[in-house]
Amino acid sequence: MGIARLKETIKQPWREQLIRFAPYIVGGVILILLPAVLPLYLRSIWTKFVIFAIFAMSYDLIYGYTGLLSLGHAAYFGAGGYAAAVLMFHYGIDLLWIGVPFGILIAALTAAAFGPIALRVSGMYFLLITFALGQLLYSIAWNVKWLSKPGMQGIAGLSRPELGIPGFSWSTISFYYFVLVIFLICFFLIYRITNSPFGYALRGIREAEPRMRSLGYNTWLHKYIVYIISGAFAGLAGILFVYYNNMIVPAHLAVGTSFLPMVMVIIGGSGTLLGPVIGSLVVIFVEYFASLFTPERWPLILGAIFVIAIMYARGGISIHLSRLWKRISYRYGSIKS
Amino acid sequence: MEALRVEGLSKDFGGVHALSDVSFSVKAGERLVIIGPNGAGKTTLFNLINGQLRPTSGRIYFFGQDITTVATHRRTQLGQGRSFQTISLFPNITVIDNTLIALHGTKRSRFQMFRSTKEYKHLLASAREMLTAVALWEKRDDLVQALGYGEQRRLEVTLSLASEPKLLLLDEPSSGLTSAESADITDMIRNLGKDITVLLVAHDIDLVFGVAERIIVLHYGQVIADGTPGEIEADPRVKEIYMGIEENEGNATAS
Repeated sequence: MGIARLKETIKQPWREQLIRFAPYIVGGVILILLPAVLPLYLRSIWTKFVIFAIFAMSYDLIYGYTGLLSLGHAAYFGAGGYAAAVLMFHYGIDLLWIGVPFGILIAALTAAAFGPIALRVSGMYFLLITFALGQLLYSIAWNVKWLSKPGMQGIAGLSRPELGIPGFSWSTISFYYFVLVIFLICFFLIYRITNSPFGYALRGIREAEPRMRSLGYNTWLHKYIVYIISGAFAGLAGILFVYYNNMIVPAHLAVGTSFLPMVMVIIGGSGTLLGPVIGSLVVIFVEYFASLFTPERWPLILGAIFVIAIMYARGGISIHLSRLWKRISYRYGSIKS
Repeated sequence: MEALRVEGLSKDFGGVHALSDVSFSVKAGERLVIIGPNGAGKTTLFNLINGQLRPTSGRIYFFGQDITTVATHRRTQLGQGRSFQTISLFPNITVIDNTLIALHGTKRSRFQMFRSTKEYKHLLASAREMLTAVALWEKRDDLVQALGYGEQRRLEVTLSLASEPKLLLLDEPSSGLTSAESADITDMIRNLGKDITVLLVAHDIDLVFGVAERIIVLHYGQVIADGTPGEIEADPRVKEIYMGIEENEGNATAS
């Protein structure tokens, strides 16, 4: 039986491929079609989920793949966001083609500057130092007047970016598709990176760093490079968030914001491609529904979900979903052949 | 030609002298075995040679080059390979991917981000050859944590060969194995080409005498004997110190 089935799948690789990629295809179709039929407000929440999925994927690179638990990733999210916001607010530059590269550059440079400090240590100390660096940026944004609109903390009242196309104006759905395209590009890039020799080196560092050194890897350099890459992706998410939210406040650099991608990755499944996306979907939508009923209890609910996920969904939701999918596709395959 | 030369090597941990004034050299192609009771400083010596630790004093030369302060990964690029006493593999990664990680380690491709690791056909071919040689090719898609202990030991040694080292440091490669499994490891080491210099730490007498061309005996961080297996066997100090302790160990296990 088993051998017959194996031969069958070898003979028909296209079907095996179809079964393997079906979750991605289904996910892609949902991402493309669902927001078009969602009510306006839910569409906005859905856009926020996709932006935070990019943020969570960036966090998964350093936590899930490399094993570095950070509590300061909002520093790069906020740095990118502030860069785009300052560009609009002080210099009137609202062209997307300038704002996005500039914001990514600032986020990557911030990560490049903070990396050597944070990567001197590992484990719990890495967590504490990244936390301190995030709070440092938070207090700078809070205290430097240039980084705030007069009369408030933060920069509000920004507009959507200009594409430089005459006669074009944003609608909620066109903005969503713009975010989706950037998300898909990030997803593809992170897919490539995590399946490359560099990506496997990151997994190796997570599993046994001393062995990696003995195999010839300068593990510090690998960690530094991925820290900068991760910071750049987080910065991109921050820029999109400013374009989406039309404002940014110091709290977007602080620990409360850093906590979100951490929870998303742990709930969704660390060290996987889909985990951060599923984690973002769960956290953003639970936040939305919780805020409808008991806005002030949202942190309590988030905490409860976190505990339940750790106790009953070890390894994250995506691991359990993929196991379920394997079981279904196995059974489906055997019936057909 | 000298593959390795160690001069007056000492290492203190606080007030403890783990190694004191150790000097020896290894000829290229030689099989040198280091023996000594537990706590004699064998693993500390390996950590100094491979760069996990810096010596308190003394120098280390690798093919004539002073590598005393060179980082571990640079030593690997220069031609060292090392296996660990406690198994040091990547447990949540498959056997084939463990091997590919090891193979990329000394190649420029270790920084490559946009090509899949599976696209390197020549490395896949090397991986197949390496894993077939240790009867692990059939298990290539299993996670390393699912392997048996003996299989993990074989992979442990195999990974240290991936960089095609000139000097191979093997730290108790047969530790915890049955005598049949241990014989496999002995054969594996005996079958290595003469272009590889082997420095081996071992307790297992069959492995020691199966491989050694020369033996160094460490005791409390000092070299107390250095000679051919025959000379070491006949050395009265080795008999007194080493065998005496071996006997005590035997009693301890029996009770």
